Amino acid sequence: MQQKPKTLKTVLALFSFLLTTMLIGCGQQKTESANDFNKAYPSEAGGTLVDTLSGEPSGLIAMMAGESSASAVASNIFNSLLKYDKNLELTGELAQSWDVSADQKTITFHLKPNLKWADGKPLTSDDVLFTWQTVTDDKTRSPYGADYKLVKKAEAPDENTFKVTYAQPYAPALDSWSGLHILPKHLLKDQDINNTPFSRNPVGSHYYQLDQWKKGESISLKRNPNATQGQAKIDRLVSRIIPDRAAQFLELMADNIDSMGLNSIQYARIFPSRPDLTNKIAQYKELGNSYTYLGFNLKHKPFDDVRVRQAINYAIDKQEIIDGVLLGLGLPVASPYKPGTRWSNPKLKPYPYDPQKALALLKEAGFEDHDHDGILDRDGKPLSFEILTNQNKEREMSAVLIQRRLKEIGIDVKIRVVEWATFISRFIKTGDFNVVLLGWGLGLEPDQFNIWHSSQQAPGQFNFIGYNNPKVDKLLEAGRLELNPDKRMKIYHEFSEILLEDSPVVYLFAGYGLTAIHKRVKGIDDPAPPAGIGHNSYEWYIPAPLRRNEMSAD
Amino acid sequence: MLKYLLNRLFWMVPLLVGISLISFLIMHLAPGDITSTEASFNPKTSEESRQKLRELYNLDKPVIVQYGLWLKRMSTLDFGHSFASHQSPVFWQETDKDGNVTKGMIQEALPITLLINVLSLSLIIAIALPLGVISALTQNKMPDRSITIFVFIGFAIPSFWLALMLMYWTGVSHNWLPISGLHSLGAEKLSNFAQLLDTLKHLTLPILISGLTGLAGISLFVRNGMLDVLHQDYITTARAKGLPENTVVYKHALRNALLPLITIFGLSIPGLIGGSVIAESIFAIPGMGKLFYDAVLMRDFPVIMGILTIGSALTLIGNLLADLAYAWADPRVRKGVAQ
Repeated sequence: MQQKPKTLKTVLALFSFLLTTMLIGCGQQKTESANDFNKAYPSEAGGTLVDTLSGEPSGLIAMMAGESSASAVASNIFNSLLKYDKNLELTGELAQSWDVSADQKTITFHLKPNLKWADGKPLTSDDVLFTWQTVTDDKTRSPYGADYKLVKKAEAPDENTFKVTYAQPYAPALDSWSGLHILPKHLLKDQDINNTPFSRNPVGSHYYQLDQWKKGESISLKRNPNATQGQAKIDRLVSRIIPDRAAQFLELMADNIDSMGLNSIQYARIFPSRPDLTNKIAQYKELGNSYTYLGFNLKHKPFDDVRVRQAINYAIDKQEIIDGVLLGLGLPVASPYKPGTRWSNPKLKPYPYDPQKALALLKEAGFEDHDHDGILDRDGKPLSFEILTNQNKEREMSAVLIQRRLKEIGIDVKIRVVEWATFISRFIKTGDFNVVLLGWGLGLEPDQFNIWHSSQQAPGQFNFIGYNNPKVDKLLEAGRLELNPDKRMKIYHEFSEILLEDSPVVYLFAGYGLTAIHKRVKGIDDPAPPAGIGHNSYEWYIPAPLRRNEMSAD
Repeated sequence: MLKYLLNRLFWMVPLLVGISLISFLIMHLAPGDITSTEASFNPKTSEESRQKLRELYNLDKPVIVQYGLWLKRMSTLDFGHSFASHQSPVFWQETDKDGNVTKGMIQEALPITLLINVLSLSLIIAIALPLGVISALTQNKMPDRSITIFVFIGFAIPSFWLALMLMYWTGVSHNWLPISGLHSLGAEKLSNFAQLLDTLKHLTLPILISGLTGLAGISLFVRNGMLDVLHQDYITTARAKGLPENTVVYKHALRNALLPLITIFGLSIPGLIGGSVIAESIFAIPGMGKLFYDAVLMRDFPVIMGILTIGSALTLIGNLLADLAYAWADPRVRKGVAQ
């Protein structure tokens, strides 16, 4: 007993000693290879690429899962009938070619010969038919069935032919077949798709197959020797699940991962100030897949007045938002299509920042500062509204900049930020909002019927701003019936023009997707084509001298 | 004694039902359900299919009916299946007809969280006890002041910031410790011992951080308990008897001062299964905190209810254990219970 204080001291000393030795013990200096990552190397196969996922996929059947992490992994494992090439034009993946019948109602896909699943079994039109049956089955708990349920009849007349017939021509059909991962019938026919172990242990036909899935930690893929699209160069893809972006960045700095998505601060501030990083890590910038907008509730006054909407559009400085929020890493857009693709109308320009014009338009609409309180008013009611958005830093910051600009011309704006599920069920579904700040995808398929057609306003549907323009309705209907790309282009160019003029939403920006990839990975297209840097990832390679030692993260 | 125990156990059942009912109602007060997630806000999905999902999960029924269905399942300890995660079982593992085993979500996350919490609690006790005693013995002098300042800094420092700084220092500046995750890539090729060492290295920072933040509570508790006891008459008596100071402090004072700690440990039993969302996200550890947080964001009701139920059951059991331990440690309490 009397020895206790001494014992304690000894224990503490011993403990700290152990800790120190342990820390020093594992401090074998990293052998900083003298390799020059900037040198050119010939292409060769092999190596492992480690990247990160922010969340764990719930499963790898994309039609069931829906999260971006699921499709990111699954798209390395599964093929679709069609795909988008580097210029975002549709081309065959499993299909060699496809014909559209004269009445535009029937599409016939001709599969490439001798396709195989990763397990060696033949991949035939029967599998495609099975996948269609699965996604349209009422018992399948997939939210993505709608496009495929429009198929009146699907048949597989022979091994390499798959034929679908629609009740009426449906132009988005081709895009829908680029988004449906074909599943193996021989493994799934007796399974309940909603609850099948296959989703955690999938067998596909693309470049890679699942090697190991450590729950909550990492997903490893290895090369699929039977791949239908040829052989990828890199042997293994490992995706580590690291939710926190700061931790991802530390792992990148410590050379434990090869690739991650960056935010604008990391891209534009941290990298340029760290030559040790730019020495070994390359930064890539590609046009992202979504745009951010300010949407008006058109059923509420005064947003039913086009002059008010246009005035607000003129009063917002988009470049300022891009510079302030995205540190310049974004583009202003004037249509809901990716700039540079065929659907984007090159004639259209975003509304310039012009507060005088905004004031003039508001005056025309009856808004003036009659009571001299600094806020415009009409019939005694001040022009004041609330911008509603979800917890998303970029959107919150944009809202603050908009608030200031609108204040300058006498519009009183409040900002309200709510959590996503609340946002949707409490405000969007009920239509209980004035103005929202949200984002939509810059679709590769130009059809945006669900977002802009006047028939899509019921609770839970996507035209929640209540946009209703008969001319646009007609164009959207026509665009769905037209399968000829050139004729479709004209339709959607006109649609975008009316939409811009009508200003039911203010397009704020389309941000760049920012990626950092270690320079040991070669063969990446820079600058990125419209489809992004990932379009040829199967041609990327890691020269042997630059490879990380296996079991390196000691 | 047995009667007392049975009585306590019996009353736990209605208490649990009550707690679960309130949790269920509060959970449903938050707007939205599994069909209002960010991924479902996709023009390629349709409202009909979402409505269909709601029907499949009984989300279209009144809340009290849903609660009844849940309670009926729970009465056979069936925690159900996750809405969000491909119908994964919430707790128990399942084997399908082909012999594929699907592990339960809680079943997978629990051991990791438990391991981290037990280790960090042990670390806290191992350090906080001596710190508290030293503090009390040197009240208002240098050692006491510096210990108090140290534990308060540990308590007040934002743990995510400290975590990132330590990750940078030990993982990027020096290659001492791994930055995140539980295993190194390819660790499965190592020997068992090397694998264990690998995991321990991965756990060092998370345990250190949660230990540091938890130090303040227990060390101050011990300090105050010690100070209280040291002013008691029986300590004066012990000293007057001429007992050596060490015997007075460690045999007479410390043992009595530790009594209230039993309550703290009892209350920390449910905390053992609760992970920290922030620490788990930063260190990329697939534990309970992240599981619960994601489930709340996804409105994955079966998972939320599963974790809440286990948590509340453990709270009640922890209370009971604390009371029993009190009775075991303190003869005064024991007498009270017996009467």
